[in-house]
Amino acid sequence: MSAQTDSAKRVCLGVIVGAKGLKGEVRIKSFTASPEDIGTYGELTSEDGSRQFKLKATGFQKGAVIGRISGVTDRAAADRLKGERLYVTRDALPEADEGTFYYADLIGLSVETVDGVPVGRVRAVDNFGGGDILDVERPGQSSVLVPFAEGIVAGVDMKAGVVRIIPVPGLLDDGGNETNDGGDETTDDPAAKTKADG
Amino acid sequence: MSRSVWKGPFVDGFLLKKAEKVRDSGRNEVIKIWSRRSTILPQFVGLTFGVHNGHKHVPVMVNENMIGHKFGEFAPSRMFSGHTPGDKKASPTPAAAPAKK
Repeated sequence: MSAQTDSAKRVCLGVIVGAKGLKGEVRIKSFTASPEDIGTYGELTSEDGSRQFKLKATGFQKGAVIGRISGVTDRAAADRLKGERLYVTRDALPEADEGTFYYADLIGLSVETVDGVPVGRVRAVDNFGGGDILDVERPGQSSVLVPFAEGIVAGVDMKAGVVRIIPVPGLLDDGGNETNDGGDETTDDPAAKTKADG
Repeated sequence: MSRSVWKGPFVDGFLLKKAEKVRDSGRNEVIKIWSRRSTILPQFVGLTFGVHNGHKHVPVMVNENMIGHKFGEFAPSRMFSGHTPGDKKASPTPAAAPAKK
């Protein structure tokens, strides 16, 4: 899911999931890299931008940030905010270092090879412990995972909205059967083995 | 119970051959593997493996910190990405220097 709305360049940092206690505190599911940082980017706004919230994070409990919103003083008022998504403008986030990009900025960029052949569009950015991975959706084909790594990503042109990749062997072909490397023992594809047996 | 030390780390033989072949060729290539159970060895550092998660191959760039872990640990088979962190940053991972033979 994208954290960024396409239209207004705003980034969703969290959602209010309920009230906490009787004094107007709220429980917030934070979408920031460090959950407690949700209150550090200035004033938050509602999804349509009509309401502003001044949030002060006061704690962390059961996976949710506990916060106090100015003007909300009782549980009933806090309950009414349940489901409210909290946004900041993209400009409120500090400038990323050279060669570093916000996930929110990478999502939606088009992907093409260094030769200019279009590949698809970045749907999500994941990290499972083996480095950042771009999930690139391709029209008419299954999506492909591209490591966001030197030697694979040749460059990111934010102005043009393009990520240029080097199509190394094995990167863009579908995850089906790989060509055998010369004998059954060199492939560990169970499907290929079944075919060979049968 | 953990694996006996005298046995050494488990790794599928064909994986070693594939990795050696790519290392010797010196090409930058994604090595597609289905062997999630294999241990990551020092000679895999600097290589990129596409570890199958039952659906697609998840690229894993091997670095020193991964040695001793299994490939499957870096390619979750039940993937729920959730909400993308709004203020999380990414930078291209520098290629790890391959281990010396």
